[in-house]
Amino acid sequence: MAFLSLPVLTKMTSETQGARRSTEPLDLQALLETIPALVVCAVPDGSAEFANRAYQEYTGLPLNELAGNAWQTTIHPDDLANFFGEFPVGLASGELFESEARIRGADGQYRWFSIRKTQVVWRTPNTEPSLRALFACEDIDERKQQESARRYIEESYRLVVETASDVVISMGENGAILLANPATARVFGYHPADLIGRPLTMLMPGFLRKLHEAGVKRYLATGQRHINWQGTELTGLRKNGQEFPVEVSFGELTKDGHRVFTGFIRDISERKQAEEIRKQAQRVIQTMQAELARVSRLTTMGELAASIAHEVNQPLTAVNNNSSACLRLLANQNLRPDVLRQALEEIVADGTRASAIIARIRAFIKKAPVEQNRLDVNYVIGEVLAMMGHGFAENRIVLKSELAQALPPVLGDRVQLQQVLLNLIMNGIEAMTAVIDRPRLLLVESRLDESGDVLVAVRDSGTGLGLEADRVFTPFFTTKANGMGMGLSISRSLIEAHGGRLWATPNSPHGAVFSLTLPVPAGRPL
Amino acid sequence: MNGPVVFVVDDDRSVRSSLKLLISSVGLQVESFESADTFLQRKPPDAPSCLVLDVRLRGLSGLDFQRELAVRNIHIPIIFITGHGDIPMSVRAMKAGAVEFLTKPFRDQDLLDAIRIALEKDSARRGQEKELTDLKERFDSLTPREQKVISMVVSGMLNKQIADELGTAENTVKVHRSRAIEKMHAQSLAELVKMVEKLKSSSEPRML
Repeated sequence: MAFLSLPVLTKMTSETQGARRSTEPLDLQALLETIPALVVCAVPDGSAEFANRAYQEYTGLPLNELAGNAWQTTIHPDDLANFFGEFPVGLASGELFESEARIRGADGQYRWFSIRKTQVVWRTPNTEPSLRALFACEDIDERKQQESARRYIEESYRLVVETASDVVISMGENGAILLANPATARVFGYHPADLIGRPLTMLMPGFLRKLHEAGVKRYLATGQRHINWQGTELTGLRKNGQEFPVEVSFGELTKDGHRVFTGFIRDISERKQAEEIRKQAQRVIQTMQAELARVSRLTTMGELAASIAHEVNQPLTAVNNNSSACLRLLANQNLRPDVLRQALEEIVADGTRASAIIARIRAFIKKAPVEQNRLDVNYVIGEVLAMMGHGFAENRIVLKSELAQALPPVLGDRVQLQQVLLNLIMNGIEAMTAVIDRPRLLLVESRLDESGDVLVAVRDSGTGLGLEADRVFTPFFTTKANGMGMGLSISRSLIEAHGGRLWATPNSPHGAVFSLTLPVPAGRPL
Repeated sequence: MNGPVVFVVDDDRSVRSSLKLLISSVGLQVESFESADTFLQRKPPDAPSCLVLDVRLRGLSGLDFQRELAVRNIHIPIIFITGHGDIPMSVRAMKAGAVEFLTKPFRDQDLLDAIRIALEKDSARRGQEKELTDLKERFDSLTPREQKVISMVVSGMLNKQIADELGTAENTVKVHRSRAIEKMHAQSLAELVKMVEKLKSSSEPRML
């Protein structure tokens, strides 16, 4: 079948219809060429009768290559059905139909077009009226791309909002809820649909409502923000009346001249609870530490006094001995001047030594009585390790204990033993703070020693004592920058007051071992 | 026998030197040491002696040192001195045989009294030891036959019974017996019995 152009049709018309109608077809063709669209005119079987220049130019095909059904190959196969739509629907119809389809261009690429089609009844003087379809195709590819991109973004946003575990809620200038996501049901107990159009203030406790309303009003009027819009902690109100802590962030969007506020609300009850528990634990630890420090200070002063008494007694003894000796020699007329001079020199030196010690700690005089209770040494060790608990982790120390089972009880003062152990363990920890090239190991042991006393040893892998092993027990001797030098001296006094001993030896291959023994009282407990 | 010696072990230099002066002021010989170890290196004297010992010593403690001396069979009387004594510690020391437990600062007379008692105690112990040694020496100077006869006499056998037992004449037994009494420097048979019994009792613990 040959491709018929409108001019041919026109010629036929003008021959059959006469002068009155002869101008019509020319008008039609001219009209179709002026439309800024691709236009095809087809007969009911789908073969083209005419395609305007725009169509030819876009597809890059001359008229003869579009003739018959050939033009249909320029329509994307998937869109062909859509392109024709319900055509033909009936002779009488003058209605306009619209659809969308892709048409292949001269470059081989398809673009989206909006297809407007209409059916016209073609009347010629010497033939039956026949049906034609006019397709006007407008390039909408760019719009279509933008739409698709926008739809993708919107869909993504919708997904995020719908699946978010945080509440997303939008509010208009009037304070009414415009949008709420499904998380609202879980967090606040309201179904999103039940919230639309209702005031946002219903999600907050009474005391916040006025503040919120005033804040919004002020912001709308002045543009001034009075709270941080990112991560402010507020209080929410659930449907069941329960108040709960929330963290709110919100943003603002202007739509058609109206401002929309969208908030992201996170339920932080659990986080708050965890924080509260941690704070409480911290308080308990602080209280315990304060109590320990207090008890420690109290008894330390008593023990300090005892230790000082011991230190002062040494020079006093020497003074007594020297002067008594001189008196005796004098009585026997046997006191040689050189002996007297030496004795007097020593008396002066010892007097100075005694007053120096006293001057240092004049305040501590009274000695607290030592309690004598039956104690399970392992239990006391356990208490001290529990008190120290976080001290090990803080200093990245590996704590091990090897405690012999069924040790006999010892007689002693629980708090004092705690202090001594605490002192030894703290010293161990401090001795290891500088250690970086090997594990920081602290081992606490208990067992019976050869003589049947209970022995406790605290081993560290610290810097060790070197040649100072003995001096560490001397009052006011310290290797620490802020140490008073009394800890080990007092500890030794305490242990000796219990009838035991405290001494230091090197640990192998690094560090020190502080060992103490406590005698087991004769006779078994009932 | 030499004059008595007082040993002082105290790690505090001024206490040590003042003790030396005090003890020497009453005419006693004093030797002082700064540690238990240095004291142990000294050969035990052949004279009555005692030890003035500080409870708190570097290295070995005074109380452990007391135990150590007992283990080594050194029976020197000990006077403890301490700057921080308490009842359990002093009880432990006294139970282990200490003469006295003095808390610093002590009255000079208390220390000197304790030293006197300790030296008397050591002197007496040495006297007993000497007597036993002498007896042992005399007993060892007897012939085996004489020792046998003596032990049978002490067990209460009559001369005739001994003669029968040993398969010898009663007169021979009488000669052995009188020689033994003479060699043991006993005044009578009764004293000889006492001497042998003393020897037996001193050697018994060692046999156990």
